[in-house]
Amino acid sequence: MRAEDLLFTRTDALINWARKYSFWPMFFGLSCCFIEESVALTSRYDLSRFGAEVLRGSPRQSDLLITSGTIFKKMAPAILRLYEQMPEPKWVISMGSCSNCGGMYDVYSVVQGIDQILPVDVYIPGCPPRPEAVLEGLILLQEKIRSERPSRSILHLSGGTQGSRRPILVDGITKSRDSRGPGYLGTLPRGTSETPPWFWDSRSDLMWTPPAHRIELHERDKSLAQILKEKFGDAIRQTPETSDMVTYHVTGNRVKEVLKFLKTEASPKYLRLDDLTAIDESARRDQKPVSHYDGTVVNEIGQNGKSARPDKGIGPDYTLVYHLLSFDPPGRLRLKVGLTGREPVTQTITDLWPSASWYERETYEMFGIRFEGHPDLRRLILPHDWEGHPLRKGYPGRATEMTPYTHASAVEHQPLDAGAFVKQKEGDQELLVLNMGPQHVGTHGLMRFVLALDGERIADINLDIGYHHRGVEKIGERQSWHQFIPYTDRVDYMGGVANNLSYLLSVETLAGIEVPERAQFVRVMLSEFFRINNHLVWFGTFCHDVGAMTPTFYTFREREQLMDIVELITGGRLHPAWFRIGGLAMDLPEGWKEAVDAFVKVLRERIGDYEALITKNPIFRARTQGVGVLSLKDAMEWGVTGPNLRACGLEWDVRKKFPYSGYENFNFDIPTAPGGDCYARYLVRVEEIRQSLRIIEQAASQMPGGSVMTDDTRYAVPDKKDTLKDIESLIHHFINVTRGPKIPKGEAYTATEISRGEQGYYVVSDGLNMAYRMRIRAPGFANVQVMPLMAKDGLLSDLLAIIGSIDYILPDIDR
Amino acid sequence: MEAFWKPGILTLGLYAGLVLALTGVLLFLCSWLGEKRGTHEKQRAYECGMIPSGSARFRYPVPFYLVAIFFLIFDVEAAFIFAWAVAFNELGWTGWLQIVFFITILLFGLFYIWGKGGLDWRTKVSRPS
Repeated sequence: MRAEDLLFTRTDALINWARKYSFWPMFFGLSCCFIEESVALTSRYDLSRFGAEVLRGSPRQSDLLITSGTIFKKMAPAILRLYEQMPEPKWVISMGSCSNCGGMYDVYSVVQGIDQILPVDVYIPGCPPRPEAVLEGLILLQEKIRSERPSRSILHLSGGTQGSRRPILVDGITKSRDSRGPGYLGTLPRGTSETPPWFWDSRSDLMWTPPAHRIELHERDKSLAQILKEKFGDAIRQTPETSDMVTYHVTGNRVKEVLKFLKTEASPKYLRLDDLTAIDESARRDQKPVSHYDGTVVNEIGQNGKSARPDKGIGPDYTLVYHLLSFDPPGRLRLKVGLTGREPVTQTITDLWPSASWYERETYEMFGIRFEGHPDLRRLILPHDWEGHPLRKGYPGRATEMTPYTHASAVEHQPLDAGAFVKQKEGDQELLVLNMGPQHVGTHGLMRFVLALDGERIADINLDIGYHHRGVEKIGERQSWHQFIPYTDRVDYMGGVANNLSYLLSVETLAGIEVPERAQFVRVMLSEFFRINNHLVWFGTFCHDVGAMTPTFYTFREREQLMDIVELITGGRLHPAWFRIGGLAMDLPEGWKEAVDAFVKVLRERIGDYEALITKNPIFRARTQGVGVLSLKDAMEWGVTGPNLRACGLEWDVRKKFPYSGYENFNFDIPTAPGGDCYARYLVRVEEIRQSLRIIEQAASQMPGGSVMTDDTRYAVPDKKDTLKDIESLIHHFINVTRGPKIPKGEAYTATEISRGEQGYYVVSDGLNMAYRMRIRAPGFANVQVMPLMAKDGLLSDLLAIIGSIDYILPDIDR
Repeated sequence: MEAFWKPGILTLGLYAGLVLALTGVLLFLCSWLGEKRGTHEKQRAYECGMIPSGSARFRYPVPFYLVAIFFLIFDVEAAFIFAWAVAFNELGWTGWLQIVFFITILLFGLFYIWGKGGLDWRTKVSRPS
């Protein structure tokens, strides 16, 4: 060895030692994983022990990029730019299955692994990885740095290594297209071949189920039906049998009149547009001749490319579905409109409900249905240069069926310039156009606020969403009814099993499945735990947004205690996926009661501590009172739900108005606050923590005994123990786990009150083992659409308070 | 000769030289040792991962700047007042009258700025106090 190399060994060791204990990770979160990454910073895990203490807000100050979460195609160009803007040398940790390889999101909008666009040093497996795994990832990176030889690079000599140097993966050569990993060659992924919706002799057809559950309509609905019939005659037709709410078919040209009548004249008035979406009917098995279907029919049985599927009659090409809600008395109503043609056109209803704007843009983007008269009909969620309409049945669902997304794609597909979103001049005054997000500490996720600033004043604001679009509605059409449950956990990733509940209620309503009382109680208890989980994180981050750092340290401490209980009961943390069709995955474990009681006692005291810090704090009040005011009328018009609606003074909670899962058995209040400002939203949420504790306490003390799974084994997965004893259980276990249960043909919409508001699942079944259409009515979508109303003409600093107080979460907005 | 060195010019000079040399060495080391890759994206202004829109060089209303300037003016004035306060006994009533005159003119300035709206943030939002 030469003398100078001997010298370099010493300097290498010194430099590496300094580097590996002083990381500067960038504040960069993509999705669920970031929650666990940020938990690694809090007191229990204390990342600072490993020399990576403070997350830096900008790439200029960072040398470590942790890609925590899903790599969205819309976000990939931004990730690449942020990486390029980091100084040398720099390292990359890929955190979580999505970032490693696409994970469970093999879907059109997701890049199948960050290593196709960036070099990666360390991969952390898990979905999401636990905070301990983040610590281990960091230690592994430290080990890796020990092997680097930086001195020569630093002294501008040849040789030497520092930072990430691994080449990025090349699709088809170093990167497998099979997201399940190696060894599956020749086995088609589930959902593409086994039983696609168009597979006419699906084995599910051999299974018999009773017809969909039917309800008896309320007198009120019957009299309204009579009035509608008199007024609109043949243009409106009531669906004779329905599983969830009164349903009408309306002819296309009269729908706007009907909607207007329902909103302004009918009794009760249907004031809120709950949801607007569409269904592509082209793959219906009993309606369309298959020649009308031009999608990629992979495994169609037949000759000469012609299908052997029988022609059974003609239906519409698309169905538009409007869900309306009346507040007083509480009621729901569904309107369906059949549309014909590949690119149908219909009328906009943005002049009736301003909130229809985003819904119509989404429907336009996903189905290619045009809305005549819409003021701004362009893509909402996918990148502006995207081609095709993903929720059409012929559109490939999987990313692995599409052209691979590579480094070159990330360079090519740049996001739309901010100037296209906002006005750039106000009178003579030029405005400063500023992007806030998608990577920003204050935006709480991948959301892009485009601002036009006149000094500190927000003269114009527009939102660019879709950076977190995981195509979950498309996935719902290929995963079996059971397999879809884990995807629901990730829709509102702070909501955990509460998401399972929204989805399962729809399926159970449709199939008429009775859930045993014990299971209902456990469902309620866990849902309330996750409400507290969300509100604790919200409390810390919201206070942080307006300048109070302390609460984060306290609320995350209690949250960890809560997570311990969730782990004790379900075995998971963020995404337990623990509810099942007809009940629960298993019974409560030993020792749950003691843990729950202890938590209720502790948190009840600690809320007092939190409030002592914040509620009367003059700085906090100055930042929140009178800021971001939303009037009750606007809130109702725009479909705002949850704590944000209650902060406008309306006592409205689905748990009370449409009780589900036995909520009618519990004593609790609906907290409200007047004013509709950030402070009112704060007050409502803090009180909600208390009310949730009350519910948990009651559920724990009155927990009934008995089974936690319905005995209707047609839908339920039987207990594993029973499968070893009797053949019936074994058969049902085998069928329901592999092929999945068949859900009768029909449709159902149910909504639950999750921590952010009303989350509804509209499931449409064509009588198969997977949904024909899976629509998620997300509270965040409506809550966020109204934000420009609150932020416009306010100060830039107030926007941060508004964002924090609205409490949105990105996968719930973009889905 | 001895009198010339008395106040310690040599030490001062040495000190100044050392400071300059150290700063120079540090700046040189930073710029030479650090790895540099001047790619196109690297040179671009950072704006939350997006490509910045338009130019930042235009007439831009900056209330912060106004407040900073006003602060500077009144800050410099404070220096005079402190100087007067230290010598209060020596200056006597004449000094007192002079400083009152000085402060009055300053106050006129403040009221003028106030009246002109120089202390407003130019926002249309009305916020309850």
